[in-house]
Amino acid sequence: MKKIINNPVDFVDEMIEGIILAHPSKLKTPGEDPRIMVRSDAPVKGKVGIVTGGGSGHLPLFKGYVGQGLCSGVAIGNVFSSPSSQQCFEATKAVDGGAGVLYLYGNYGGDVFNFDLAADLAELEDIETRTVVGRDDVASQPKDNRLERRGVAGLIFAYKAAGAAAERGDSLDEVAAAAEDIVDNTATMGIGLSPTILPTTAALSFDLPDGEMEIGIGIHGEPGIHRGALESADAITDRLVGALVEDLELADGDRVAVLVNGMGATPLEELYVMYRRVHQKLSGHGVTIQKNYIGEYATSLEMAGASISLLKLNDERLALLEAPASSPFFLEV
Amino acid sequence: MRSTELTEQIQGSLKEVVAYADELRDLDQALGDGDLGITITLGAGAVIEALAEIPQDASPSEIARACAKAFANANPSTMAALVAGGLLAGSKVWKDVEDVDIRAAARFVRAAGENIAQRGKTQIGDKTIVDAIMPAADALDAGDDGTSGLDAAISAAEKAVIDTRSLRSRRGRAAWLQERSIGLQDPGATAMLRFLESWRTASVRTKS
Repeated sequence: MKKIINNPVDFVDEMIEGIILAHPSKLKTPGEDPRIMVRSDAPVKGKVGIVTGGGSGHLPLFKGYVGQGLCSGVAIGNVFSSPSSQQCFEATKAVDGGAGVLYLYGNYGGDVFNFDLAADLAELEDIETRTVVGRDDVASQPKDNRLERRGVAGLIFAYKAAGAAAERGDSLDEVAAAAEDIVDNTATMGIGLSPTILPTTAALSFDLPDGEMEIGIGIHGEPGIHRGALESADAITDRLVGALVEDLELADGDRVAVLVNGMGATPLEELYVMYRRVHQKLSGHGVTIQKNYIGEYATSLEMAGASISLLKLNDERLALLEAPASSPFFLEV
Repeated sequence: MRSTELTEQIQGSLKEVVAYADELRDLDQALGDGDLGITITLGAGAVIEALAEIPQDASPSEIARACAKAFANANPSTMAALVAGGLLAGSKVWKDVEDVDIRAAARFVRAAGENIAQRGKTQIGDKTIVDAIMPAADALDAGDDGTSGLDAAISAAEKAVIDTRSLRSRRGRAAWLQERSIGLQDPGATAMLRFLESWRTASVRTKS
């Protein structure tokens, strides 16, 4: 295992320490627990707070989306592990400005468990909460079971929309509805080329023979729906886009936002090769791309691979995506 | 049982239950991370203190809610949060209750158990506290009066606790032990049993 780390058990805390040191004007640790990070101006009085959270190893997900027009705070777990209920609750208290708090995170058992417990603890403190979970990974469950799907890179669309809604002063129910509407119209599929090495155990996140690819892989290396010989960028992109177009039932005249996301070890150049093909394919379907994001938005440490997310747009969703937002890892002006 | 008596009864029970802290710690050390003893000790202390401050006119529902809050914050842990969430769910079914009788007690225990089961994605037989809570709720529901209902609930919980020994843990840290968990008694279910026994001890003490 070759990694630039110190003692593996200190990896997460040292990474958080680095982020806080680098961006003291934007982010802060509200209490004693370093695993909770909030906007430097939190709590913002009278506005809905948004708390996200999940395991480490996915930067810029989740902590990279704490900022203006985005989430208000994050509870940070170990690599690929949920934060505790207490950490979710502490983050809730730190961002509550009196208008309630939305929990917005990816659909994984441990995270759901701990955020649900935190919701009970928040209720005891008279803080109102709502929960919306990202569930965009179309390879993780068939469409008729889509509420059980895992949340992956498409979660950033929901962050962007919910953050914009909260910033403009929407109520808790309205912010939750904006997030839910995005989640309902987002679909993602990934491809994995090589696994991640977990820092504490040096274990591989999945096994994949040389020269093979896994279509539909999850951001922790969860198995996908097809494994086979590596194909060309165009062939891979066609598989992913084809599945997403079908899932979202995109038709001639529809508009979308596109996210081509690198999983950690795939170069930006390759992502643009993929984007070129996404554009060609969607044009062929008569679908217009009104917004695009290309780069690393949700990684899996040093996994090689990528994912494509599509969000079906309407005027309201587009306006929320285009609203200003700023964090150390995300800027929309 | 009205508010004043309820407050005294809870405080009395919690003073009794801390006597079982070492037993619970040892059971939890074998199956979990061993913090159940301290969770119970600090949680019980915090609840007793919180109830000493509660207004005279607090309703049973408000009393239960105050217990939940104090327990959650005393020694934060997953177990504390689960129990607090259960008490919160129980407090909601007592919204219009002024006099807690055996039926109201049954509804409270059932709501608490259902909330814990739902939060923990747990069913009876998974070797958790839920294994003892649900049969206790059934027994309370079938009871004719407080005394006989409580006796029946304790018997039901005791049987459930003994039954957990032969089960494999399916939830929480204990599930990591897989088949090695078989033979060990579940600490959560035991805690529920000890609480019910403490309730009886405290209630006998008040009446004598």
